[in-house]
Amino acid sequence: MNPILVSVLSMGLLALAFATILAVVNRRLSVREDPRVEAVLEALPSANCGACGFASCRDMAERIVKGDAEPGACPVGGAESARRIAEILGLGEVEVVEKVAVVHCAATSEQKVKVAEYRGVTSCSAANLLGGEYACRYGCLGYGDCVRACRFGAISMVDGRPRVDVERCTGCGKCAQACPREIITLEPYDRERGETIFVACNNPDRAPAVRRVCEVGCIGCRMCARTSDNGAFYMDGNLAKVDYGKVYESGNWDEVAEKCPRKVIHSTGRVRMERAA
Amino acid sequence: MRSFRGGVHPPYNKATQDRPIERVSPPERVVVPLSQHTGAPCEPSVEKGQEVERGQKLGEAKAFISAPVHTPISGVVKEIAPHPHPVLGEALAVVVEGGGEMEDWPRGDVDPDSLEPEEIRMRVREAGVVGLGGAAFPTAVKLSPPKSIDTVILNGCECEPYLTADHRTMLERAEDCILGLRLVMRAVGAERGMIGVEANKPDAMEALRRASDGEVEVVPLKVKYPQGAEKMLIKALLDREVPTGGLPMDVGVVVQNVGTAVAVTEAVRDGKPLIERVVTVAGEVGRPGNYLVPIGTPFSYLMEVAGGLKEGVSQVVMGGPMMGIAQRSLDVPVVKGTSGILFLREVPPAEEGNCIRCARCVDHCPMELMPTLFVKFAKGERWDLLESAHIMDCIECGSCAYVCPARIPIVHYIKLGKLKVRSLK
Repeated sequence: MNPILVSVLSMGLLALAFATILAVVNRRLSVREDPRVEAVLEALPSANCGACGFASCRDMAERIVKGDAEPGACPVGGAESARRIAEILGLGEVEVVEKVAVVHCAATSEQKVKVAEYRGVTSCSAANLLGGEYACRYGCLGYGDCVRACRFGAISMVDGRPRVDVERCTGCGKCAQACPREIITLEPYDRERGETIFVACNNPDRAPAVRRVCEVGCIGCRMCARTSDNGAFYMDGNLAKVDYGKVYESGNWDEVAEKCPRKVIHSTGRVRMERAA
Repeated sequence: MRSFRGGVHPPYNKATQDRPIERVSPPERVVVPLSQHTGAPCEPSVEKGQEVERGQKLGEAKAFISAPVHTPISGVVKEIAPHPHPVLGEALAVVVEGGGEMEDWPRGDVDPDSLEPEEIRMRVREAGVVGLGGAAFPTAVKLSPPKSIDTVILNGCECEPYLTADHRTMLERAEDCILGLRLVMRAVGAERGMIGVEANKPDAMEALRRASDGEVEVVPLKVKYPQGAEKMLIKALLDREVPTGGLPMDVGVVVQNVGTAVAVTEAVRDGKPLIERVVTVAGEVGRPGNYLVPIGTPFSYLMEVAGGLKEGVSQVVMGGPMMGIAQRSLDVPVVKGTSGILFLREVPPAEEGNCIRCARCVDHCPMELMPTLFVKFAKGERWDLLESAHIMDCIECGSCAYVCPARIPIVHYIKLGKLKVRSLK
C-alpha cells in the first residue's frame, strides 16, 4: 500500500478519535458560569486594587452575584458602578455615598516645629517607631506612605504634607490604612458643591501644647462650633470635628472657616481653592 | 572559653568602669511614668494634691504582667497627665514635687532559707521590681514559672559598649548580688546558681567569688556582643537552646540581670521599692560616670549633674549604642529600664546602599536567622513571608546592621516588620 495513504489514514483516524474524546469531555465536564458574573465584572473598575477586601475584581463580582457582598461594596467604582450592578441584578435603586480621602494635618514642614533629625528607613511607619522629626505626635510625618499606597496617583507630597486630588481619588481607603498616625480618613464628598469639608488637624491636646508644636493646629477654641448656624461643627475634647450629616446643609460654611483663628477648616473643592488663591 | 555562634566585636569604650557609683541628689520635680515595664500599665493610686512619702506607691499593678511604681522623693502630687517617655513616646505619668536630700534606706535583715517562696514573690511584686537589663520585664512574673526550674543564671555580661552600671554594681554590691541570686533560687526552687561574666571584668568576678564562698559558679565568658542576651547566655553556660518562640523557662532556666538581683535583695531584705537605679552616663559630657539616680529624674537634670554637654553631640541614646533608643527630647525621665544615657558625636549614616548579598549579616546573626531576607520582605511589604522567615525570633541585637557593608538599617526594617506582623494577627 502506498505509505502516504497509510499515514494520512492513520493520522486521520487518530485525529477523529481525539476529537470525539474532546467533544465528550467538553459536554460532560463543562462548567456553567452565571452570565451575570461577567456582566458585573464589566461594571467594576478592574483595578484589582484590593480595597474592597476581596482578592480581585472577579472574586468580588462572584460574591456580589452570590449575594455575599453589597452591590455598592466597591469603593472605587462608587455610585456609578453600584447603580449598574444593581441594574444587572435587578435590585432597583441603591444609594452609595461617594467618599474621598481627607488629610487631617495641613501643616507644612515650616509650620511644624522640628525637634530632631531622622536617619533611618524612609517610611512613615518606620519613623513613627521613633517619633519622627517633628514635635507634634499627631501630625503628618512627611515620608509619603500614603503616596506609595495610592494606586490611582491621587496623592502627592506638597511642602511636606500630602495633597489629595479629589478628581483622581476613588475613596478606596488604602492611604488611610497606610498612615501610621491615622491622619487620613474617608469622608462624604458632596458632588453638587464639589467639595469635602474637613478639619485639617488631628491633635487632641490643649491650646498651649498645640501652639508649642505647630503654627496651624486646632487649639480647641470652639469658634467653629459657636458660629455654625446648624451645629455642623462640634468639639471632640479639644479638637473640632465636622458633622457630615449637617455640614452640607449649612449655609455659612465660608463664614465659619473665615472665623477660625487657626484656619484649619479646609475644603477639598477646587473651586474654593481657586477662589482662595 | 565558652560562648555562642555569631556575634560581633564593637569597640567597647568602657571609659567609666573605674568611676564608683555616685548618688545623685534628687531633683525637685520627678515624673514617674505608670508604664515602665513590659505588660499592662499600672493604675494611679494617688490623687492630685496628695502628699506622698518617699517609697509610697503611686500606681497599682492590676494585671498579672505588670508592676507598681513608687515615688523616689517625698512631696506633693502635682499632676497625673501624659508626659514624654523614653520608650513609648508619651505615657501617663505622676508628677511629684518636693525633694530634699536622700538618706540610705534603712537596712533590714533576712535569712533566705527561712522565707517561703510565696513571701519572696509577694515582696518583689510589691516593690515593683522589674528586669534592670533594659527590657524591664516584671521580676515577680519570672519568679512564678509554670515549669520546673533547675538553674538560675545571673547576667553580669554587660556586653553593650559604653555601659558600666552592672560592672560597678558587681564590684560594689557583690554580697547583695549573691543574696539576690539565693532569693531567686529559693523562689523558683532551683538547685544551681550561676553568674556569667564577660572575661574583661576579672575584678568583678573576683568580688563575686569572694562574696559567694564558692556556693555559686562564677563563669568567665568570651568577650563578644551579644553575650548578655539571655538566649546566648544560656547557650554559652549550659549549652541549652531555647526553642523558637519560647522562653528560658522552657529549658529550665531563669535569667536575671545582676542589677535586678540587687533590687530583689533590697525589696525582700529591706522592704525598699525600686525607686532608684544605677545609670551609666557616658560620651560627650563633662563628668561621665555611674550614677545612682531616682526614677523619674529628667535626662536634662542628669546631664547637668554629669557636667553638662560638650561640643558636637549629635545623638542622645537611652541604653547602649547597639540596642538603645535614640531620644527626641531631654525632657524624658529616667525609667526602670534606663541602663545608660549616651551623648554621642557620631550619627548613623544617612545613605543606605543596596544589599550586595554578602551574607555577613547571616554569618553574624546569633539567632541563626537571615536578616537579609527580612529587609527584602519588609521592603516588598511581604509581611506573610516575614513571619515564616521567623522574624519574631529576632532579638534585635543589631549585629547584622553593625556588620552590613551597605549600611542598611536592618534592625529598623525588622522592627517595622515585627510591628506589621503583630498587627496582622
